[in-house]
Formats: sequence, structure tokens, C-alpha cells
Amino acid sequence: MLTADLARSRTRDGEVRPLFIDISDERYRETAATLIDLFEDHLGEPKGELEDAIDELTVADTDYKIVQGLAKLLKDECEFEIWAAADPREIRQRLFERANDRYPIVRQPTLGEDTQKLEVYSAVADELGISLEACYRGMYADLDDNKRLVRFADQSVDEYSEGRETTTTTKLTGNSKRAYDQTEQTVDWLLARYNLALAQAVLYDASKMHIRVWDHFGTVFSYVKLFGLMHRIYPIDGDGTRVTSTDLAAGYEAELDGPVSLFRQSQKYGIRMANFLPALPLCDRWEMSAEIIDEGSTSDSNQFTLGHTDGLVSHYSTGQQFDSDVERTLARKWERATTEWQLQREDDVFDLGSEVMIPDFAIEHPDGRRAIMEIVGFWTPEYLESKLAKIRQVEVDNFVLAVSERLDCSDEDFGDAAGRVLWFKTGMHVYDVVELAEEYASYVETERN
Amino acid sequence: MRIDFDEGTLLLYDAPETVPHAEWDDRVGTHRAQAYRYRTLLEWAGQWSDSGGQATLDSGFTHDVEDAARSYPALALTPALQIEPRDYQQAALDSWRTHDRQGTVVLPTGSGKTFLGLQAIADAGVSALVVTPTIDLMNQWHATLTNAFGEQLTDDVGVLGGGSHEIRALTVTTYDSAYRYIDEYGDQFGLLITDETHHLAAETYLQIPEMTIAPYRLGLTATYERADGRETLLEDRVGPVVYEGAVDDLAGDYLSEYETIQMSVDLTPEERTEYDEEYQIYRDYVDSHDFDLWNEQGYAEFLKRTSYDPQGRRALVAKQRAERIARTATKKLDTLDNLLKRHHDDRVIVFTANNDFAYDISREFVLPCITHQTDTDERTEILDRFKTGEYSMLATSQVLDEGIDVPAANVGIILSGSASKRQYAQRLGRILRPTDDRQPARLYEIITTDTMETYVSQRRRSGVSSSADS
Repeated sequence: MLTADLARSRTRDGEVRPLFIDISDERYRETAATLIDLFEDHLGEPKGELEDAIDELTVADTDYKIVQGLAKLLKDECEFEIWAAADPREIRQRLFERANDRYPIVRQPTLGEDTQKLEVYSAVADELGISLEACYRGMYADLDDNKRLVRFADQSVDEYSEGRETTTTTKLTGNSKRAYDQTEQTVDWLLARYNLALAQAVLYDASKMHIRVWDHFGTVFSYVKLFGLMHRIYPIDGDGTRVTSTDLAAGYEAELDGPVSLFRQSQKYGIRMANFLPALPLCDRWEMSAEIIDEGSTSDSNQFTLGHTDGLVSHYSTGQQFDSDVERTLARKWERATTEWQLQREDDVFDLGSEVMIPDFAIEHPDGRRAIMEIVGFWTPEYLESKLAKIRQVEVDNFVLAVSERLDCSDEDFGDAAGRVLWFKTGMHVYDVVELAEEYASYVETERN
Repeated sequence: MRIDFDEGTLLLYDAPETVPHAEWDDRVGTHRAQAYRYRTLLEWAGQWSDSGGQATLDSGFTHDVEDAARSYPALALTPALQIEPRDYQQAALDSWRTHDRQGTVVLPTGSGKTFLGLQAIADAGVSALVVTPTIDLMNQWHATLTNAFGEQLTDDVGVLGGGSHEIRALTVTTYDSAYRYIDEYGDQFGLLITDETHHLAAETYLQIPEMTIAPYRLGLTATYERADGRETLLEDRVGPVVYEGAVDDLAGDYLSEYETIQMSVDLTPEERTEYDEEYQIYRDYVDSHDFDLWNEQGYAEFLKRTSYDPQGRRALVAKQRAERIARTATKKLDTLDNLLKRHHDDRVIVFTANNDFAYDISREFVLPCITHQTDTDERTEILDRFKTGEYSMLATSQVLDEGIDVPAANVGIILSGSASKRQYAQRLGRILRPTDDRQPARLYEIITTDTMETYVSQRRRSGVSSSADS
């Protein structure tokens, strides 16, 4: 992400707008390409030299904030390492101790003093069993500017390699293979990432965020949880109007903030909202509005709105399409089965306070009947316990469960809900599920008061 | 009722409806209060006892409380150096104690506020977090706390900020780092000390005292009043002003005398050519736009223009390059060379205004070196060795202002510096001491002739002349 000083936005009539760049603009494409080359060229070189080279690009360029911003995003894909033959702090400590008895150590020596500096360095080098040059260079090898660029995206070098391995193209992978899709590094990638980062930077000063999403609920709410945001959730229809139950919901609206928001406006959670933002462009249809505190003015906060029409691109992963083999198999069987009932994945979101419960499937009939189903598969006892606790918290009539016989539990664990449980061995049969749905599904009210 | 710490707030389980300062949080289905209400809540429940942090049951308690919030340990410490507090320091400490160890002490710069902090830590007998506005000040507190308590602590003094992330029974941090992490660690400290407390009144920083449960709080500042009047917000979060010392009582006493010697060097012909080229680019731009650079507004206008005018951007870079040439002039090192020869038996501190130059000098003359990049514990170690005489010379790009534990030097050499008057007055006043045989301390200032440095030096000296040149 960008540092706050690299943020670029304009506020007009209480509306904040990031100064997005046009990704097809040749000027920016050229800058991006130059920067990427520059990083590649500096593999194995000191960080200070890389920084100087970046600064050089901004000498007569008023877009220096853009250049530095793009460079920051590339630096996020880099690793820097200390290259030294001995611990730098140890080297210099020995040097200073030894030098203290030898002062003056000077550059224009008079007779008798001319070898002091050399003697100090070589004595310490000998003590540590390293070369004189390694001693001199190692003395401050741990300074930020002296650290070496050892990895840029998928290209890396190490201290001992003769020459660097070269590949024809650089690919940028995310920080974690699990969290991010591997993306081919291109100028497009960098410029798209930059626009997203500009939007994220506006959120550093956000006190509250409202989101509306119409798909990918499971993904969105797992990122809400991952980044430690608190929520209030409301089911909404296709127009964004709130509806009474999740059965009627086409989407969900959520208010996101943190614990202390109960008492005061706080920017404390702005960084979490900024981290969360890339989860939204994973949805096909979404809207976001945030309140941005303006430290400079005493007036109320400004508004910042974004949506799927802004063309932002996410680098986050949507996660696995299915949590387990059981779910995947059922979905596949359902496609081949002949039943009017439809299987919908992750269609309902239940607000349980500190987190949400998103049942695996909704089963819907064209006549308006609807049941929701949660599959309890092969998991640890702790998982089972928390899952059961969540299920008991969800107070709806049309809830059914599919539970693996391999789990160490029985009808008693489900209390009143025992009748709603479908026990299965290795896989479920579509018609068993349909039978359960026929029994427990309820008609969805189409009117709401 | 059960009290638990949750991200800078308190969750109050099974709280009666009458519980003060709490709101019902429908998101989690329990009462919630801000963390700084911790002590008030315990007092309300009749469960607060001021015995060095050990909570005991009073006979007249009204509510049973299970305290799962407190995670801070008791800590018995005595400052290693038993220095008698000055009268006003003792009066300030006494007043803070009678105000239930909550409140702000206002004392002028240079009056030993850090020393007062040490006394408060020893007095409160609980783990403490010290919050400072800058990394410099954080480092100074680290050095002072390590000197005073280091041998009594099982762990080192912790540092949160400047690249370190260690939480210990005594921890130093900056306002920025504290703001970022306080919701995680707000239950770990019984005493919150905020240095330069007036900064705390900023909207973001106010959340630092709000998000900690510390029942004891001490604010330290020389200038409590703010232009925006927000200092009134501090009373609720830190406590009232418990002591205010006037400048008159203290001024002058603790500044030492020294003589200033100015030395000039010329640029080499190559440096001169490059300097003149860059300076001309800057000057032409400024002249063609009529900025009044000696006035703050004029300079701000110039800076603003550099953000959209490519020529302006080039002019700014030219100015920076010219400054760097003057600052790091080769002949300065020749002069330094001579001075180090002359003073090799003295205790010498060499000041530079930028890190690179400090490191160049450190390599060249094998001098220990402290910059903004030096780790807090290495910095403390180097200063300690300088104090004990293990090191007799030091290069630094920082203001060294260690309160009661200034490592004294008798020779200062300024190779380059900013024109900030206040910074220099402090720098010079604190560091230099006459030698044991009463030779006055000396301060050399090496400047490059016929460059911008000449003006900077004149401005600097006009700010400190009354105490330094007399």
C-alpha cells in the first residue's frame, strides 16, 4: 500500500475522490515500464542506489508523487537483505574500541600517525577472520541504504551466486500464495494496483464504512473478519432497500467499524478498511461509501463512494469455490439430477454478532418455497462445537442440516432440531436432500412491512 | 460483573443497568466502556484500592467484580543514582501523588522532567509506558530509563517504534506507534507517562490515553496551552494540571559556558562550479516568481508551486543539491582532520545535519556514530560507553539531550546543521561542560564560505548569542 504522503485525492463539496490515473495513458505506461526495468537492474545492488535511481526519475517531473507511488508498490514486492561477512554491529564495536586508544586517526597524518587507520581495520579483520575489504564494507552493511535487493517479484539473487539468474519476464506474486492469485507482472498490473492503492489511501482516515454487495458474500465477510472489522448486517433487495428476512435478500448491506466506534468517531480502523477494500472488487456488483475524517477542518466528515463501475481490479483471492469435496460432489450431482429444486451456493448471511454464519446452500423451488442447508463434514471437535453453537444461534424455521456419520455426535447433540438432520456416509444423495427440503422449506413472503 | 479488555475498550459482562460510562453494544450483546474508565469503574464498584496496584476488597463494596482486564504487573524499582530532587521537582511529585497519581506537571525545558518521570515510575510501583512525540525523545527516555533501572529489570527496557516491537514492563514509544498499537497493549501498563503532553490533545493521539486502562497517568510538558484550546480535553484523560513551575525560577542555572569559534572553508573548484550551477537554477526560478523566501509564507508558496510546475520541481532539487554540496564540502573534512589532531585527548562530539555525512566521518576517522537509524539499544550502549570514557569521541546527526544523564564533552564540532534556533540552543547548552582543570568548553562551527550556509549560520547564532557568546 502507499504511505500517506503519497496519497493523491481531491475533496470538493464534501466528496473525496482519488486522482485515478488513466491506465491506457502512454505517459504512465512508460513510467511504469521504466521503473520495472530499474528494479530488475538493481537486483543484488544496495537499496540506497535503487532509491537514488528512483529519485533521479523525479528531478524535473511534477508527477513525482506518482513515480514514488508506483515505486512504493514495486518495493512491496521486494526483499532486502544484509550482506556481511560478520555481524556489522560486532565489527564496528571492535573498531571503535580499538580506535579509542589510537586517536588521532586522521586523513593527513604527520609522521608516525599515517598507518593508524589501516592498522585498526586490519587488526579487527584478522580478529574476525575476514578480509580487510569485508571488514570495511561490513561495518555498516546493516544500514537500510546498504542492504541488498535480493528478490524482486519472482527474481532473486543471493550473496554467493556468481551471476544472477535471469528469466525473460518478471512475474509478480502476491505476499502469500494462499491469499493472492498469482498474477503475471505487467504494466497493467502495476497501474491497476496503483489506482486501487489510491482508493485505499483515502480510507486511512475513514471512520465508518458502508458496503452493499449482491454476490460473493462468503468471500466478502471472510475478509471483514480477517481484517478485524466489526459489522452490522442487513438483508437488502435488488435496489438496495432493506428487507425483513434473509429469504428475501438479493444482497447484503453492512456497516463496518470497530469496538470504540460506539463512543467516538475514530480513524483507528481506517487502515483495516483500506486492507479490506480489495475484497470488494471480487464481487460482480458492489457499492461502498465511507466517512472520511478531515483533520484540517472542524466541519463534518467528507464522503467517499466507490462501486463496481469504477473499474477497480482486485489482487485478492476469492478463496476456494467449495469448502469441501462433499459440497463439490453434491453440486455436481445436482446438475445431473432431475428436480425442480435449485441449489444455490452461499446465499444467506446470518449476523451472529462477532461473526457471520453463511450456510453452504439454499434450496429453492420455483413456487417460492425455500430451505437453507448447512453441511457439517469432517472436522475437529473444536470446529464441530463452534459450528453447533452457531447453528443453534440461527433462529429460522427452514434450516436443515447434513451431518457426516463419521462425526462423533448423535441426534441428542441437535436437540429439537434432530428431525432436520440428514445423516450421510461418504456423499449425499440429491433426493434425500430434496425430501428434507419438501418437509421443512417455507414459502417466502413476497411482501414486507 | 466481569471486566475484560477488548481492543482498547472494556467489555462489561453481566453489568447492572446502572453501570456508569457504559453503552450497550448490540453487535456483541454486552455492555462496553472506554478503557480509561477502568479505574472509575472499579471505584464505582468499591473495588479500587490504591496500594501500589494491588486490588483488594473493601468492606463496603457494592458490586462483585471479576477483573479480567488488568494484565499489568507490579514493579518495584528504585532509581540507581540517588539524586536529591530539586525543590520544585519534589513539590511536583508530591502534588501528583495527592492528586491520586493522575495529572500533568508543567515545567520549563531543561528542568529535569525526565527525572520526575523516573520518580513517578518508582513511586507508582507498576509497569509503565512512556509516550514521546519523536523517535529522538523516545531514544533519550530509553537511555535514561536503562541507566536508572536497567540492573533491576529482568528484561531490557522495551521499545515500540522506529522498527522495534518489544513490549516490556517498562516500554518507550512514540505517539504515532502508540496510536497504532494501543488497542493491543492498553491493558499492559499501570502507569502512562506522556512527554510533551500538549501534543496528546490531537484528535488521533487522544485515543492513546482513552484506549489504556492505566489507573496512574502523568503528563509532562513545558507548554500546556495550545492555540486551539484543546488542552481542556486532557483533563478527563490524563488528569488536571497538578503543578506548574515558572520559567523565572529555573532559567539560566543549568546552562554551561563555552566559547564559539567559527571556521570557514572554501569549496574546491569542481564543487564551486557545480554549486554555482545548481544555485543559479534555484535562484533564477525564485527571482522570476518573486517569492519572499525569508518569510514562511513565501517559502510555502514556492514549495506548493514545485508540486505542479516542472521548472519549480527542478529548482527545488537544485536547492537541495546545492545545500548538500555546501554541507559536505571536502575541505570540511580537512579542517575536521586538524581539529581531531588538536583535540585527540579531549572528549569530542562531531555534529552533522545528515546521516550520510555522519557515516562517512565514522568510517574515515573510526568514530562511533549515532544517527536516526541507530537502533535504540545500540544508541544507549554507545552513549553509555561515551559516558564511562570507553569512547572519547562521537559523531552524530542527532540532538543529544539526555536530561540528567548527559554524557559531557568539552569540544563540540558542528560540520553542518539546520537553522532551527531552539534546537541549537538546547544542543549546545546541554552537551558541553568545562574540563576538570577548568578549561572552558569549545564549540567549533565549520561553514562553507559564500554559500547558503553562511546565512544559516548567521541566523543560528543570532538565536543563541545571549547565552553562548557571552
